[in-house]
Amino acid sequence: MSETSDEILMENVKSGNLEEMSVLFERYHLRVYNFFFRLTYDLDVSNDLTQNLFYRMIKYKNSYKSEYSVKSWIFQIARNLHADYCKEEKRSGELFLKSEKNFVEPSDESEGYHEEDFERLEKAMSNLSIDQKEIIVLSRYQGMKYEEISEITNQSVGAIKVAMYRAIKQLRGIYFKQI
Amino acid sequence: MKCEEVELKMVDYLDNNLDSDSRQEIEKHLETCERCLDGLNESQQILNHFHKNEIVKPDDSLRINFYHMLHSEMKKSEEKVKIIEYKTQKPWYINSNYRVAAGIALLLCGTFIGLILHRGFGNSYTSDELKNLQSEVSALKKTAMFTMLKEESSSDRIQAVRYVEDIDNPDQNMIEVLIKTLNSDKNVNVRIAAAYALSKFSDRQAVCDSLVKSLSLQSDPILQVTLINILVERKEKSALRPIQEIISNKGTLKEVRAVAENSLRVLI
Repeated sequence: MSETSDEILMENVKSGNLEEMSVLFERYHLRVYNFFFRLTYDLDVSNDLTQNLFYRMIKYKNSYKSEYSVKSWIFQIARNLHADYCKEEKRSGELFLKSEKNFVEPSDESEGYHEEDFERLEKAMSNLSIDQKEIIVLSRYQGMKYEEISEITNQSVGAIKVAMYRAIKQLRGIYFKQI
Repeated sequence: MKCEEVELKMVDYLDNNLDSDSRQEIEKHLETCERCLDGLNESQQILNHFHKNEIVKPDDSLRINFYHMLHSEMKKSEEKVKIIEYKTQKPWYINSNYRVAAGIALLLCGTFIGLILHRGFGNSYTSDELKNLQSEVSALKKTAMFTMLKEESSSDRIQAVRYVEDIDNPDQNMIEVLIKTLNSDKNVNVRIAAAYALSKFSDRQAVCDSLVKSLSLQSDPILQVTLINILVERKEKSALRPIQEIISNKGTLKEVRAVAENSLRVLI
Protein backbone atom coordinates (compact mmCIF):
# COMPACT_ATOMS: atom_id res chain seq x y z
CA MET A 1 0.00 0.00 0.00
CA SER A 2 1.46 3.33 -1.01
CA GLU A 3 1.60 6.18 1.47
CA THR A 4 -0.27 9.39 0.88
CA SER A 5 2.11 11.87 -0.71
CA ASP A 6 3.27 14.97 1.15
CA GLU A 7 1.56 17.11 -1.46
CA ILE A 8 -1.85 15.48 -1.04
CA LEU A 9 -1.51 15.74 2.74
CA MET A 10 -0.68 19.43 2.47
CA GLU A 11 -3.62 20.09 0.13
CA ASN A 12 -5.85 18.38 2.70
CA VAL A 13 -4.42 20.56 5.45
CA LYS A 14 -5.12 23.59 3.25
CA SER A 15 -8.73 22.60 2.84
CA GLY A 16 -9.16 22.39 6.60
CA ASN A 17 -8.08 18.89 7.68
CA LEU A 18 -5.47 20.19 10.08
CA GLU A 19 -5.05 16.82 11.74
CA GLU A 20 -3.20 15.55 8.66
CA MET A 21 -0.44 17.92 9.68
CA SER A 22 0.58 15.28 12.23
CA VAL A 23 1.66 12.93 9.41
CA LEU A 24 3.91 15.63 7.98
CA PHE A 25 5.26 16.29 11.45
CA GLU A 26 6.20 12.64 11.87
CA ARG A 27 7.84 12.59 8.46
CA TYR A 28 9.87 15.75 8.77
CA HIS A 29 10.48 16.85 12.33
CA LEU A 30 13.72 14.90 12.73
CA ARG A 31 15.19 16.24 9.49
CA VAL A 32 14.16 19.79 10.26
CA TYR A 33 15.41 19.55 13.83
CA ASN A 34 18.80 18.35 12.58
CA PHE A 35 18.88 21.06 9.91
CA PHE A 36 18.52 23.67 12.64
CA PHE A 37 20.95 21.92 14.93
CA ARG A 38 23.69 21.84 12.30
CA LEU A 39 23.23 25.57 11.80
CA THR A 40 22.86 26.69 15.40
CA TYR A 41 24.59 23.94 17.45
CA ASP A 42 21.95 24.61 20.05
CA LEU A 43 19.43 21.93 21.07
CA ASP A 44 16.95 24.32 22.68
CA VAL A 45 17.01 26.74 19.78
CA SER A 46 16.57 23.85 17.34
CA ASN A 47 13.61 22.66 19.34
CA ASP A 48 12.00 26.13 19.26
CA LEU A 49 12.68 26.68 15.58
CA THR A 50 11.27 23.26 14.66
CA GLN A 51 8.18 24.00 16.72
CA ASN A 52 7.84 27.34 14.98
CA LEU A 53 8.20 25.77 11.57
CA PHE A 54 5.20 23.50 12.02
CA TYR A 55 3.22 26.38 13.45
CA ARG A 56 4.04 28.48 10.38
CA MET A 57 3.03 25.62 8.10
CA ILE A 58 -0.43 25.69 9.66
CA LYS A 59 -0.70 29.44 9.90
CA TYR A 60 0.44 30.04 6.33
CA LYS A 61 -1.01 26.85 4.87
CA ASN A 62 -2.71 28.82 2.12
CA SER A 63 0.61 30.10 0.83
CA TYR A 64 1.64 26.55 -0.09
CA LYS A 65 1.64 26.28 -3.87
CA SER A 66 1.39 22.82 -5.36
CA GLU A 67 4.09 23.70 -7.91
CA TYR A 68 6.65 23.17 -5.12
CA SER A 69 7.28 19.93 -3.35
CA VAL A 70 6.26 20.05 0.29
CA LYS A 71 9.85 19.21 1.20
CA SER A 72 11.12 22.32 -0.62
CA TRP A 73 8.44 24.45 0.99
CA ILE A 74 9.35 23.15 4.45
CA PHE A 75 13.01 23.98 3.94
CA GLN A 76 12.14 27.39 2.50
CA ILE A 77 10.32 28.14 5.73
CA ALA A 78 13.20 26.63 7.71
CA ARG A 79 15.66 28.97 5.99
CA ASN A 80 13.46 31.98 6.72
CA LEU A 81 13.21 30.97 10.36
CA HIS A 82 16.96 30.56 10.57
CA ALA A 83 17.51 33.95 8.93
CA ASP A 84 15.10 35.57 11.41
CA TYR A 85 16.89 33.86 14.26
CA CYS A 86 20.29 35.14 13.10
CA LYS A 87 19.03 38.65 12.54
CA GLU A 88 17.11 38.90 15.76
CA GLU A 89 19.78 37.60 18.04
CA LYS A 90 22.81 38.69 16.02
CA ARG A 91 24.24 35.44 17.18
CA SER A 92 26.54 34.62 14.32
CA GLY A 93 29.49 35.71 16.42
CA GLU A 94 28.29 33.94 19.53
CA LEU A 95 27.52 30.62 17.94
CA PHE A 96 30.73 29.00 19.02
CA LEU A 97 30.28 29.99 22.66
CA LYS A 98 26.83 28.45 22.58
CA SER A 99 28.06 25.28 20.99
CA GLU A 100 30.23 24.50 24.03
CA LYS A 101 27.19 24.26 26.28
CA ASN A 102 24.88 22.06 24.31
CA PHE A 103 27.36 20.00 22.47
CA VAL A 104 26.31 16.53 21.43
CA GLU A 105 28.66 13.78 22.48
CA PRO A 106 30.25 12.33 19.38
CA SER A 107 30.74 8.59 19.42
CA ASP A 108 32.48 5.93 17.35
CA GLU A 109 35.94 6.47 18.76
CA SER A 110 36.81 2.96 17.70
CA GLU A 111 36.76 4.05 14.07
CA GLY A 112 39.34 6.66 14.83
CA TYR A 113 36.77 9.37 15.08
CA HIS A 114 37.84 11.88 17.67
CA GLU A 115 35.96 14.57 19.47
CA GLU A 116 38.75 16.98 18.61
CA ASP A 117 38.22 16.51 14.89
CA PHE A 118 34.52 17.01 15.31
CA GLU A 119 34.90 20.24 17.24
CA ARG A 120 37.44 21.54 14.80
CA LEU A 121 35.03 21.07 11.95
CA GLU A 122 32.25 22.78 13.84
CA LYS A 123 34.53 25.70 14.61
CA ALA A 124 35.46 25.93 10.97
CA MET A 125 31.77 25.83 9.99
CA SER A 126 30.95 28.76 12.26
CA ASN A 127 33.22 30.93 10.11
CA LEU A 128 31.12 30.42 6.99
CA SER A 129 28.39 32.76 5.83
CA ILE A 130 24.78 31.81 6.54
CA ASP A 131 24.21 30.94 2.89
CA GLN A 132 27.28 28.74 2.71
CA LYS A 133 26.36 26.94 5.92
CA GLU A 134 22.85 26.30 4.68
CA ILE A 135 24.06 24.89 1.40
CA ILE A 136 26.48 22.58 3.19
CA VAL A 137 23.87 21.43 5.66
CA LEU A 138 21.28 20.80 2.94
CA SER A 139 23.71 19.03 0.68
CA ARG A 140 25.88 17.14 3.17
CA TYR A 141 23.73 16.53 6.21
CA GLN A 142 20.36 16.36 4.49
CA GLY A 143 21.74 14.59 1.42
CA MET A 144 19.87 16.80 -1.05
CA LYS A 145 20.69 17.12 -4.71
CA TYR A 146 21.71 20.47 -6.14
CA GLU A 147 18.40 20.63 -8.01
CA GLU A 148 16.48 20.37 -4.75
CA ILE A 149 18.68 22.98 -3.08
CA SER A 150 18.15 25.19 -6.10
CA GLU A 151 14.38 25.01 -5.59
CA ILE A 152 14.70 25.80 -1.90
CA THR A 153 17.18 28.65 -2.16
CA ASN A 154 15.93 30.03 -5.46
CA GLN A 155 19.43 30.01 -6.90
CA SER A 156 20.67 28.32 -10.05
CA VAL A 157 22.39 24.93 -9.80
CA GLY A 158 25.56 26.58 -11.12
CA ALA A 159 25.52 29.23 -8.41
CA ILE A 160 25.07 26.55 -5.75
CA LYS A 161 28.03 24.59 -7.12
CA VAL A 162 30.21 27.68 -6.93
CA ALA A 163 29.02 28.44 -3.39
CA MET A 164 29.75 24.83 -2.43
CA TYR A 165 33.22 24.99 -3.88
CA ARG A 166 33.98 28.23 -2.03
CA ALA A 167 32.62 26.85 1.23
CA ILE A 168 34.70 23.68 1.04
CA LYS A 169 37.78 25.67 0.10
CA GLN A 170 37.25 27.98 3.07
CA LEU A 171 36.67 25.06 5.42
CA ARG A 172 39.87 23.46 4.22
CA GLY A 173 41.74 26.66 4.92
CA ILE A 174 40.44 26.97 8.47
CA TYR A 175 40.44 23.30 9.32
CA PHE A 176 43.94 22.41 8.19
CA LYS A 177 45.49 25.60 9.53
CA GLN A 178 44.29 24.60 12.99
CA ILE A 179 46.53 21.57 13.15
CA MET B 1 42.03 21.69 -17.57
CA LYS B 2 43.03 24.58 -15.33
CA CYS B 3 43.38 24.48 -11.54
CA GLU B 4 40.31 26.68 -11.07
CA GLU B 5 38.14 24.38 -13.10
CA VAL B 6 39.40 21.36 -11.16
CA GLU B 7 38.63 23.10 -7.87
CA LEU B 8 35.11 23.88 -9.06
CA LYS B 9 34.44 20.25 -10.00
CA MET B 10 36.22 18.74 -7.02
CA VAL B 11 33.14 18.03 -4.90
CA ASP B 12 31.32 16.48 -7.84
CA TYR B 13 34.42 14.42 -8.55
CA LEU B 14 34.54 13.15 -4.97
CA ASP B 15 30.77 12.48 -5.02
CA ASN B 16 31.24 10.52 -8.23
CA ASN B 17 28.88 12.84 -10.05
CA LEU B 18 30.90 13.46 -13.20
CA ASP B 19 30.84 11.88 -16.63
CA SER B 20 33.89 9.81 -17.56
CA ASP B 21 35.35 12.53 -19.83
CA SER B 22 35.44 15.11 -17.01
CA ARG B 23 36.81 12.51 -14.60
CA GLN B 24 39.64 11.62 -16.91
CA GLU B 25 40.49 15.29 -17.49
CA ILE B 26 40.66 15.93 -13.74
CA GLU B 27 42.75 12.82 -13.12
CA LYS B 28 45.11 13.87 -15.87
CA HIS B 29 45.47 17.30 -14.23
CA LEU B 30 46.04 15.76 -10.76
CA GLU B 31 48.96 13.68 -12.08
CA THR B 32 50.91 16.84 -12.69
CA CYS B 33 49.49 19.31 -10.11
CA GLU B 34 50.42 18.59 -6.50
CA ARG B 35 48.53 21.58 -5.14
CA CYS B 36 45.24 20.35 -6.57
CA LEU B 37 45.97 16.82 -5.32
CA ASP B 38 46.46 18.18 -1.79
CA GLY B 39 43.27 20.16 -2.14
CA LEU B 40 41.45 17.02 -3.24
CA ASN B 41 42.70 15.06 -0.23
CA GLU B 42 41.74 17.80 2.17
CA SER B 43 38.31 18.13 0.64
CA GLN B 44 37.86 14.38 0.92
CA GLN B 45 38.62 14.54 4.64
CA ILE B 46 36.16 17.36 5.18
CA LEU B 47 33.41 15.53 3.31
CA ASN B 48 34.17 12.38 5.30
CA HIS B 49 33.63 14.31 8.50
CA PHE B 50 30.18 15.35 7.36
CA HIS B 51 29.34 11.72 6.69
CA LYS B 52 30.27 10.77 10.22
CA ASN B 53 27.83 13.18 11.79
CA GLU B 54 25.07 11.50 13.64
CA ILE B 55 21.44 12.35 13.67
CA VAL B 56 20.52 14.29 16.78
CA LYS B 57 17.25 13.27 18.38
CA PRO B 58 15.03 15.87 20.03
CA ASP B 59 13.50 15.13 23.41
CA ASP B 60 9.79 14.36 23.83
CA SER B 61 8.85 17.98 24.45
CA LEU B 62 9.00 18.70 20.71
CA ARG B 63 6.33 16.14 19.88
CA ILE B 64 4.21 16.98 22.91
CA ASN B 65 4.29 20.68 22.14
CA PHE B 66 3.51 20.05 18.49
CA TYR B 67 0.38 18.05 19.27
CA HIS B 68 -0.66 20.60 21.84
CA MET B 69 -0.30 23.36 19.25
CA LEU B 70 -2.09 21.31 16.59
CA HIS B 71 -5.08 20.67 18.82
CA SER B 72 -5.46 24.29 19.78
CA GLU B 73 -5.23 25.29 16.09
CA MET B 74 -7.86 22.69 15.21
CA LYS B 75 -10.11 24.08 17.92
CA LYS B 76 -9.60 27.62 16.64
CA SER B 77 -10.44 26.64 13.08
CA GLU B 78 -13.56 24.79 14.24
CA GLU B 79 -14.68 27.94 16.00
CA LYS B 80 -14.00 29.92 12.83
CA VAL B 81 -16.15 27.50 10.84
CA LYS B 82 -18.92 27.93 13.39
CA ILE B 83 -18.71 31.71 13.13
CA ILE B 84 -18.84 31.50 9.35
CA GLU B 85 -21.86 29.20 9.51
CA TYR B 86 -23.52 31.50 12.00
CA LYS B 87 -22.90 34.50 9.79
CA THR B 88 -24.23 32.80 6.70
CA GLN B 89 -27.36 31.87 8.59
CA LYS B 90 -28.04 35.46 9.43
CA PRO B 91 -28.57 37.12 6.03
CA TRP B 92 -32.20 37.90 5.38
CA TYR B 93 -32.45 35.70 2.31
CA ILE B 94 -31.44 32.60 4.26
CA ASN B 95 -33.52 33.25 7.34
CA SER B 96 -36.63 31.12 6.88
CA ASN B 97 -38.91 34.04 7.65
CA TYR B 98 -37.69 35.97 4.71
CA ARG B 99 -37.22 32.91 2.60
CA VAL B 100 -40.95 32.39 2.69
CA ALA B 101 -41.63 36.11 2.24
CA ALA B 102 -39.24 36.23 -0.70
CA GLY B 103 -40.98 33.24 -2.20
CA ILE B 104 -44.28 35.05 -1.94
CA ALA B 105 -42.84 38.21 -3.45
CA LEU B 106 -41.37 36.26 -6.34
CA LEU B 107 -44.62 34.49 -7.03
CA LEU B 108 -46.52 37.77 -6.87
CA CYS B 109 -44.11 39.36 -9.32
CA GLY B 110 -44.60 36.37 -11.57
CA THR B 111 -48.35 36.74 -11.38
CA PHE B 112 -48.23 40.43 -12.19
CA ILE B 113 -45.80 39.95 -15.03
CA GLY B 114 -48.02 37.18 -16.31
CA LEU B 115 -51.03 39.47 -16.19
CA ILE B 116 -49.19 42.33 -17.86
CA LEU B 117 -47.93 40.12 -20.64
CA HIS B 118 -51.34 38.63 -21.08
CA ARG B 119 -53.26 41.88 -21.08
CA GLY B 120 -50.70 44.43 -22.15
CA PHE B 121 -50.18 47.73 -20.37
CA GLY B 122 -52.98 50.20 -19.84
CA ASN B 123 -55.77 47.68 -19.74
CA SER B 124 -57.57 47.46 -16.46
CA TYR B 125 -57.84 44.13 -14.76
CA THR B 126 -61.18 42.49 -14.59
CA SER B 127 -62.58 41.93 -11.12
CA ASP B 128 -62.19 38.20 -11.70
CA GLU B 129 -58.47 38.55 -12.24
CA LEU B 130 -58.10 40.68 -9.14
CA LYS B 131 -60.05 38.15 -7.16
CA ASN B 132 -57.79 35.39 -8.44
CA LEU B 133 -54.79 37.41 -7.42
CA GLN B 134 -56.15 37.99 -3.96
CA SER B 135 -56.93 34.38 -3.41
CA GLU B 136 -53.47 33.49 -4.63
CA VAL B 137 -51.92 35.81 -2.06
CA SER B 138 -54.08 34.28 0.63
CA ALA B 139 -53.02 30.82 -0.39
CA LEU B 140 -49.37 31.82 -0.28
CA LYS B 141 -49.69 33.37 3.14
CA LYS B 142 -51.43 30.28 4.32
CA THR B 143 -48.58 28.13 3.07
CA ALA B 144 -46.14 30.50 4.71
CA MET B 145 -47.96 30.21 8.00
CA PHE B 146 -48.08 26.44 7.98
CA THR B 147 -44.41 26.21 7.09
CA MET B 148 -43.25 28.71 9.65
CA LEU B 149 -45.30 27.34 12.52
CA LYS B 150 -43.05 24.29 12.32
CA GLU B 151 -39.96 26.41 12.89
CA GLU B 152 -37.90 25.89 16.01
CA SER B 153 -37.56 29.57 16.76
CA SER B 154 -40.49 31.15 18.57
CA SER B 155 -40.05 34.46 16.73
CA ASP B 156 -40.61 32.59 13.45
CA ARG B 157 -43.79 31.09 14.85
CA ILE B 158 -44.99 34.50 16.04
CA GLN B 159 -44.37 35.84 12.55
CA ALA B 160 -46.38 32.92 11.16
CA VAL B 161 -49.30 33.71 13.44
CA ARG B 162 -49.22 37.35 12.29
CA TYR B 163 -49.61 36.33 8.65
CA VAL B 164 -53.14 35.26 9.51
CA GLU B 165 -53.98 38.78 10.71
CA ASP B 166 -53.32 40.04 7.17
CA ILE B 167 -55.81 37.66 5.69
CA ASP B 168 -59.34 38.97 5.45
CA ASN B 169 -61.10 35.71 5.48
CA PRO B 170 -59.05 32.82 6.83
CA ASP B 171 -60.50 29.40 6.24
CA GLN B 172 -61.49 26.91 8.91
CA ASN B 173 -58.23 25.07 8.51
CA MET B 174 -56.17 28.14 9.43
CA ILE B 175 -58.37 28.95 12.41
CA GLU B 176 -57.94 25.43 13.69
CA VAL B 177 -54.19 25.70 13.38
CA LEU B 178 -54.30 28.96 15.33
CA ILE B 179 -56.44 27.44 18.07
CA LYS B 180 -54.08 24.53 18.30
CA THR B 181 -51.19 26.98 18.61
CA LEU B 182 -53.04 28.93 21.29
CA ASN B 183 -53.61 25.80 23.35
CA SER B 184 -50.44 23.86 22.85
CA ASP B 185 -47.49 25.95 21.69
CA LYS B 186 -44.66 25.59 24.21
CA ASN B 187 -43.86 29.30 24.10
CA VAL B 188 -46.22 31.67 25.90
CA ASN B 189 -45.46 34.57 23.56
CA VAL B 190 -46.51 32.51 20.56
CA ARG B 191 -49.71 31.55 22.38
CA ILE B 192 -50.43 35.22 23.16
CA ALA B 193 -49.84 36.13 19.50
CA ALA B 194 -52.26 33.37 18.50
CA ALA B 195 -54.85 34.72 20.97
CA TYR B 196 -54.61 38.21 19.46
CA ALA B 197 -54.77 36.81 15.92
CA LEU B 198 -57.90 34.84 16.82
CA SER B 199 -59.48 37.89 18.51
CA LYS B 200 -59.72 39.53 15.08
CA PHE B 201 -62.13 36.80 14.05
CA SER B 202 -63.98 36.53 17.35
CA ASP B 203 -67.19 37.64 15.66
CA ARG B 204 -67.34 34.09 14.40
CA GLN B 205 -69.05 32.09 17.05
CA ALA B 206 -66.76 29.11 16.61
CA VAL B 207 -63.69 31.26 17.24
CA CYS B 208 -65.28 32.85 20.25
CA ASP B 209 -66.24 29.46 21.66
CA SER B 210 -62.72 28.19 21.31
CA LEU B 211 -61.36 31.27 23.10
CA VAL B 212 -63.74 30.60 25.97
CA LYS B 213 -62.71 26.97 26.06
CA SER B 214 -59.07 27.95 25.97
CA LEU B 215 -59.47 30.23 28.97
CA SER B 216 -60.17 27.24 31.18
CA LEU B 217 -57.09 25.49 29.80
CA GLN B 218 -54.56 28.28 30.28
CA SER B 219 -52.61 28.57 33.46
CA ASP B 220 -50.23 31.34 32.41
CA PRO B 221 -51.35 34.60 34.09
CA ILE B 222 -50.56 36.84 31.12
CA LEU B 223 -52.49 34.61 28.78
CA GLN B 224 -55.41 34.43 31.21
CA VAL B 225 -55.57 38.23 31.36
CA THR B 226 -55.26 38.49 27.56
CA LEU B 227 -58.12 36.08 26.97
CA ILE B 228 -60.33 37.68 29.62
CA ASN B 229 -59.80 41.10 28.03
CA ILE B 230 -60.60 39.79 24.55
CA LEU B 231 -63.78 38.09 25.73
CA VAL B 232 -64.91 41.02 27.87
CA GLU B 233 -64.55 43.36 24.92
CA ARG B 234 -66.74 40.98 22.97
CA LYS B 235 -69.14 40.95 25.94
CA GLU B 236 -69.08 37.20 25.63
CA LYS B 237 -71.45 35.92 28.28
CA SER B 238 -70.33 32.34 27.89
CA ALA B 239 -66.98 33.39 29.34
CA LEU B 240 -68.63 33.85 32.73
CA ARG B 241 -68.16 30.29 33.78
CA PRO B 242 -64.41 29.94 33.12
CA ILE B 243 -63.86 33.40 34.62
CA GLN B 244 -65.65 32.38 37.79
CA GLU B 245 -63.56 29.24 37.86
CA ILE B 246 -60.42 31.36 37.70
CA ILE B 247 -61.67 33.50 40.58
CA SER B 248 -62.44 30.50 42.75
CA ASN B 249 -59.19 28.73 41.92
CA LYS B 250 -56.83 29.11 44.86
CA GLY B 251 -53.80 28.99 42.61
CA THR B 252 -54.82 32.06 40.63
CA LEU B 253 -52.53 35.06 40.94
CA LYS B 254 -54.20 37.94 42.78
CA GLU B 255 -53.57 40.29 39.87
CA VAL B 256 -55.37 37.92 37.54
CA ARG B 257 -58.19 37.49 40.04
CA ALA B 258 -58.60 41.28 40.19
CA VAL B 259 -58.91 41.47 36.40
CA ALA B 260 -61.37 38.56 36.42
CA GLU B 261 -63.50 40.16 39.16
CA ASN B 262 -63.53 43.43 37.25
CA SER B 263 -64.68 41.65 34.13
CA LEU B 264 -67.64 40.19 35.95
CA ARG B 265 -69.14 43.69 36.30
CA VAL B 266 -69.16 44.08 32.52
CA LEU B 267 -70.40 40.60 31.76
CA ILE B 268 -73.15 40.23 34.32
